[in-house]
Amino acid sequence: MGSVDVKALDGVTLDIAKGEFLGIMGPSGSGKTTLLHMLGLLDTPTSGKITIDGTDVGKLTDYERTMFRLYKLGYVFQDYALVPELTVMENVSLPAMLREDRTEEQYRTASHDILQKIGLCDRRDHLPGELSGGQQQRVSLARAMVNKPDILFADEPCANLDTENSRMVLDLFREINEQMRQTIVMVSHEDWHKDYFHRIIRLRDGKIVSDGINGKTSH
Amino acid sequence: MGKKELKVAFLLALRSLQRGNRSSVLLIILIIALVFTNMIYMPALLSGIGQSITRQVVDYEVSNVLVSPKSGEQYISDLDATLDLINGMPGVERASPHYSKGATLKFRQRILGVSVRAINPQDEKYVSPLYTKMVAGSYLGEDDTGEVIIGSPSAGSSSIREEDEFQPSLGGVRVGDSITIEYGNGYAKDYRVKGIFTTGWTPVDSAVYITWTDMEQVVGKKLDEAEYITVKSRPGYSESFIKNELLQYGVTEKVQTTKDLLSKSLGRALQSFAIINTVTLIVSLIIAVVVLFIVIMIKILNNRRQIGILKAIGVDKEVIMHSYGIQVIILAVLGIGLGIIMTQILVVYMSYNPIVTPEWSASLYVTPFDLAFNSVILFIAALAAGYIPAWRVSREDIQKAMRA
Repeated sequence: MGSVDVKALDGVTLDIAKGEFLGIMGPSGSGKTTLLHMLGLLDTPTSGKITIDGTDVGKLTDYERTMFRLYKLGYVFQDYALVPELTVMENVSLPAMLREDRTEEQYRTASHDILQKIGLCDRRDHLPGELSGGQQQRVSLARAMVNKPDILFADEPCANLDTENSRMVLDLFREINEQMRQTIVMVSHEDWHKDYFHRIIRLRDGKIVSDGINGKTSH
Repeated sequence: MGKKELKVAFLLALRSLQRGNRSSVLLIILIIALVFTNMIYMPALLSGIGQSITRQVVDYEVSNVLVSPKSGEQYISDLDATLDLINGMPGVERASPHYSKGATLKFRQRILGVSVRAINPQDEKYVSPLYTKMVAGSYLGEDDTGEVIIGSPSAGSSSIREEDEFQPSLGGVRVGDSITIEYGNGYAKDYRVKGIFTTGWTPVDSAVYITWTDMEQVVGKKLDEAEYITVKSRPGYSESFIKNELLQYGVTEKVQTTKDLLSKSLGRALQSFAIINTVTLIVSLIIAVVVLFIVIMIKILNNRRQIGILKAIGVDKEVIMHSYGIQVIILAVLGIGLGIIMTQILVVYMSYNPIVTPEWSASLYVTPFDLAFNSVILFIAALAAGYIPAWRVSREDIQKAMRA
């Protein structure tokens, strides 16, 4: 038997505006995460082009892609993906520590401020294992935001959370989006999450089946 | 890699060791310590045996320099003049002449063939620690006649039956007993046992010592000849200096330093020891590399997803690789440190409880160079074993790593 080529994404073209809260939705296997990973420079398309802030990211070297992710992008993953041996403060500070344009004082202040914003400053010396799922995801969001990225990518950030915690995390995303004019691209399969998005792209079998402004939002 | 990257790599490494699986960390440190101990132990033991034999040969056979008859002659003649010449040279502590004869010892129903060695007890005190090895009675005095000191294996024990003895003995001679010595020339005399000694050096422990005066009675003339002369050097004077001096100032006999003699007699044994040491070192290093490689590989494979996440959030692969490398450096330093402590404990233990055989008694002989050399070798091996898997996994595709 020969192998069968499956196109995870097929002819997808889209623009994302600064400050947009974009939701990528669709059934399982529709290519949501693949699209997010390609936009977030975690995967490379076999053909096509991705341009972020005027940079054709396909032409970047491996090291340049790493630095691009560090300086311009932020990520929140489904399973929080915190380093279990680092405290909340250390986890949040980690990406900022690597930036050449930040002093120790600057990244400490930035980490402190973002932890205060998400309401976990009092837990800064705790390890991730000592926090609830919702708290860990908020820490993950703080880590993604500490470098004030151009785009924040979130891959089903509420998949492991109950409704109450999901709502708390999504409220936080909305707050960040509104107050900081933060561009957010979020993958979700929960229908009620669409209330938070400005714009929703729906995928099926790797193709965009709909792309439109969310009527329920007031933007 | 910049200062910031190094700082992050160090933070990740330190926290992983501090807050990760403690038993795994302790196990790795213990493995490195045991490998280090294994690397040191066998070579140190063999060096200890070599040192022990060398020390005993120096103490009881040749001292620092041995003067023996020239080729074709049985004895050093004109002994008094030769001794005066040697003793008068700078750097010479004392020269002690030796003369021996084969004889048969008789005590009650026991008969024992031995070598009877004649010495000047005071001179011998300068060149050999024999006088300090008395386990019963006392050492010979300069003017003693009719008295002997005997090695404890030859004296034997009355509590051991003759058929159970490891080596033939007189069956329990004690200080004050009278033994008969019959020499090869037919001369026989009863001697009082003045002392019993144990040196641990078989050729000496199997011998009997009498004074020079007594030997003159045996040979029936003034003894102005010797089988050999042992020469003790003063501190600060090398053996080769003494040898050259003796030859320059007209000693016509054969002059050899301890090193000359040992390089011939012990040379092949030391070469064999060196081969065993090399094999031990290589095997230990292979064990260390394989064990550490497996342990670090398992640790890294378990953390593949986390490595993928770190790369995703912008942590460079070099930082990730060095974070594991730094962990290995810390583990290796702690393991080698523990290994040095364990080795020193073994050295102290074995100095009180040496391995004793009829030929030699040995403890561990470890020099600071041995510790430093093995530390560096093991450190490099550990570094390679840690960095190779870290290098491989840190270069893995993010998607693959995150799916792990």
